[in-house]
Amino acid sequence: MDHREEIRHFLKELLLQKGDKQPFSDDVSLLLGGRLASVDAVEIVVFLEEKFGVNFAEIGFDQALIDSVDSIDSLIQTAKK
Amino acid sequence: MSDAMEASAAIPSVTWPQRLANFRIIPRIETYPAAKKFAKTAIGKLLILALFALGLRFAVQDWLPLSIGLAAITFVPVRRRVLLTVLTLLFTFAVPWAKWPHPFYTAALVVFVIGTGAMLFWLAIAWPRSFIGRHPVFILLSGYSALLVFAAYFPNDTHWYLTVWEYTATLGAYLWFIGYSLLDCRAPGRDDFALQLGTYRPFWGSPTTPFVKGSGYLRRIEAKDADQLAVTQLKGLKLLAWSLLISLFTKYFSQYVHGSLAIPTFVDAFSHSANRAPYPWYTCWASLITGFLDDMLAISIVGHRIVACCRMAGFNALRNTYRPLSSRTIAEFWNRYYFYFKELMVDFFFFPVFLNYFKTRKKLRIAVATFAAAGFGNAFYHYIFYLNFISQLGLWRSLAAYHVYIFYCTVLATAICISQMRKRGPAPSGYFRGHLVPTFCVALFYCLLHIFDYTERTYPISEHFRFLAHLFNLTI
Repeated sequence: MDHREEIRHFLKELLLQKGDKQPFSDDVSLLLGGRLASVDAVEIVVFLEEKFGVNFAEIGFDQALIDSVDSIDSLIQTAKK
Repeated sequence: MSDAMEASAAIPSVTWPQRLANFRIIPRIETYPAAKKFAKTAIGKLLILALFALGLRFAVQDWLPLSIGLAAITFVPVRRRVLLTVLTLLFTFAVPWAKWPHPFYTAALVVFVIGTGAMLFWLAIAWPRSFIGRHPVFILLSGYSALLVFAAYFPNDTHWYLTVWEYTATLGAYLWFIGYSLLDCRAPGRDDFALQLGTYRPFWGSPTTPFVKGSGYLRRIEAKDADQLAVTQLKGLKLLAWSLLISLFTKYFSQYVHGSLAIPTFVDAFSHSANRAPYPWYTCWASLITGFLDDMLAISIVGHRIVACCRMAGFNALRNTYRPLSSRTIAEFWNRYYFYFKELMVDFFFFPVFLNYFKTRKKLRIAVATFAAAGFGNAFYHYIFYLNFISQLGLWRSLAAYHVYIFYCTVLATAICISQMRKRGPAPSGYFRGHLVPTFCVALFYCLLHIFDYTERTYPISEHFRFLAHLFNLTI
């Protein structure tokens, strides 16, 4: 599974846990759009730290950074550099 | 099988609770293509603005300048953020000018406070690697705490005494707004201070909790084109209508409950209990439940009205209160009840702790961050909010008398902690076990906790426990 697919799968699982079965595209805003809450942001942060070694304490945290598949993917690319 | 039977077999069956959940008193007009198309035309915009102004007339005193401001921002969307700053400045100084007893003095205080915010913003940007650049919010909050200590010990027989307290109160009113602009300092594509200023108590109205967060949030929820603006404004109009409906309902609800049914208000029932003349236990239950609902309705009315104005200005903000009684967990209720207060706690206390401490121990990490937000942050916010107690009782006596609310925050933080960390299996199926039981339990928890949600300093905690025990017909 590539990065995007993993992220998409993880977000889909989070939404399913909340009973949200609606599909979402890669650019859909999930946190700022209200489909996910800050409790879910915590799960996303832990997932990114453990899976991709992203260090938010270093790069600074903003919910917009983890708002969609696209933004998470670009965050991972930036963190790798 | 007949065609009709085949067709009915193909349609997924919708249960009555689902139908009830999907029912809407105000239809989703923003999804109607014809309504969206009309809302994009000049006449459509004028009609929406006129209807909105009519609704505002029943809700706020300054409905006319507010409506004119919204009209200006609607017809010049490319200058939306600049206009937001201009309108906010007009609503900060020009609109209330005649109501202020000493307008020049009050204006000078506000200018001084805004200047403090501007200076911190500039320092954080100019020296990003310095302590202030890395921790601007910490500097702001600890600086304000130091100012409180200074004001509390300032001799009250000098003519500077009032000025010190008035500056403290004015800075307190802007504290979290300045905080949000400082949080934006490190964000990519941050706005300059002129645009940040538009979020310092924006013209659509805001309590001390910033509605709707800060400049960074506004950048992301701003309508990017005519389509989005039409949808956002239709949603704004709907939300104002919803606010007015709730307001009307609350009026008759209060009249019926406290008038016809003669159920005492929660404050009345509580003071009777404290004076050793309690109402019967079942009346106390009725008072507690209606008091809990009264608060929820009041928060909804104000929150919906402010968010509606924000949406009319072209920012698609989330609602402040969204179906709290449908929450199935304690953490979910906190998110749904007062969204922008919860966001404030999360942005200023939860994430700074969560991202920096106990990274290898997930549960401890969540627990500490939750206590930092729902416990410490919540208590800190409300302690500095009620300056009158600090000026009257002094720093330590007002803190000691605050123990009831500290207890409330501790219980709330513990419950949210447990709610967040509980491993959840698949939700039980069926409306009763899957929905009704969890939502009832969550509402009951918050209803009982409401006994301690008391920021006044009138009664000791023993009186609150006495009221709680009396609900179960026990005497302590």
